[in-house]
Amino acid sequence: MHFFSQAFNYDHSWSHVVIGMWHKYPNPKCSHVVSIDVLDRSVDPKTGIIRTERVLGCKQKAPGWIVKLFGGSEDAFVREISFVDPATQNATITSVNLSLSQFATCFEQIRYSPVSPHRTAFIQTAEIQARMALWRSAADGLEKWLVQRFEQNAHLGKLGFTDVLQTLGEERQHSPS
Amino acid sequence: MSASVSPECTPLKHEYDSCFNAWFEGYLEPAVAASASSKEREAYSTKKAEEFQQKCGKIWESYRLCVQKAVKEKGLDKLLQQAREEHPLTEPPPNPTQPGQSS
Repeated sequence: MHFFSQAFNYDHSWSHVVIGMWHKYPNPKCSHVVSIDVLDRSVDPKTGIIRTERVLGCKQKAPGWIVKLFGGSEDAFVREISFVDPATQNATITSVNLSLSQFATCFEQIRYSPVSPHRTAFIQTAEIQARMALWRSAADGLEKWLVQRFEQNAHLGKLGFTDVLQTLGEERQHSPS
Repeated sequence: MSASVSPECTPLKHEYDSCFNAWFEGYLEPAVAASASSKEREAYSTKKAEEFQQKCGKIWESYRLCVQKAVKEKGLDKLLQQAREEHPLTEPPPNPTQPGQSS
């Protein structure tokens, strides 16, 4: 598991930052995000909390060995859930990768909260984890397959060589030395 | 405004985004102000939730149908289902820096 975190303040009010959240993309500095779609959105009539589920489409060239090993492509998708709570003035964004998620997960959390009327704290954390259980079962499966193939080949090898020796023996018997 | 994953949904998405943004920009600051009492907050939230449905409900329905189809075509529906089961994320995550909670 690997962790990442960073924190800093924006010199803007919380509401300005949270309104800006919905205007972040498209962004020439973050050109890897190519599409955003809202899948679900609710406004809680009691608490006023807005929950939004989005899917982000990203284009990012993965290193060749990753593409070879895992398949994958330039298109990667991320599921993002955000909560905007005006009562506590907290906005949180949680993102998890959908693409390659059978191999590894990147779980990212962002929080915007006010420091003062004109300053907003940004806290970002991420946990990146390969799915070890899956790795292990995949490795186990691979080993089993290799053993089977080895056994089969060893068996066929024995049969094949027996034939060769037999044929050779017969030839040698029939030909005058 | 960013594009939809499917070009055919992009015009609907832009219309929906504009509708939401206009509503949200009017919603947010009064919502913070209305949070002083839970009664006031509930009254305001109920009113604004209805207003959002009234203003953006129709375009949302068209956009939703379009994007649902696109998500299926891209094979994302299964991945999304899996992700939702693993992390439903139906409640805001706890705030680690909130006073009164152990760190």
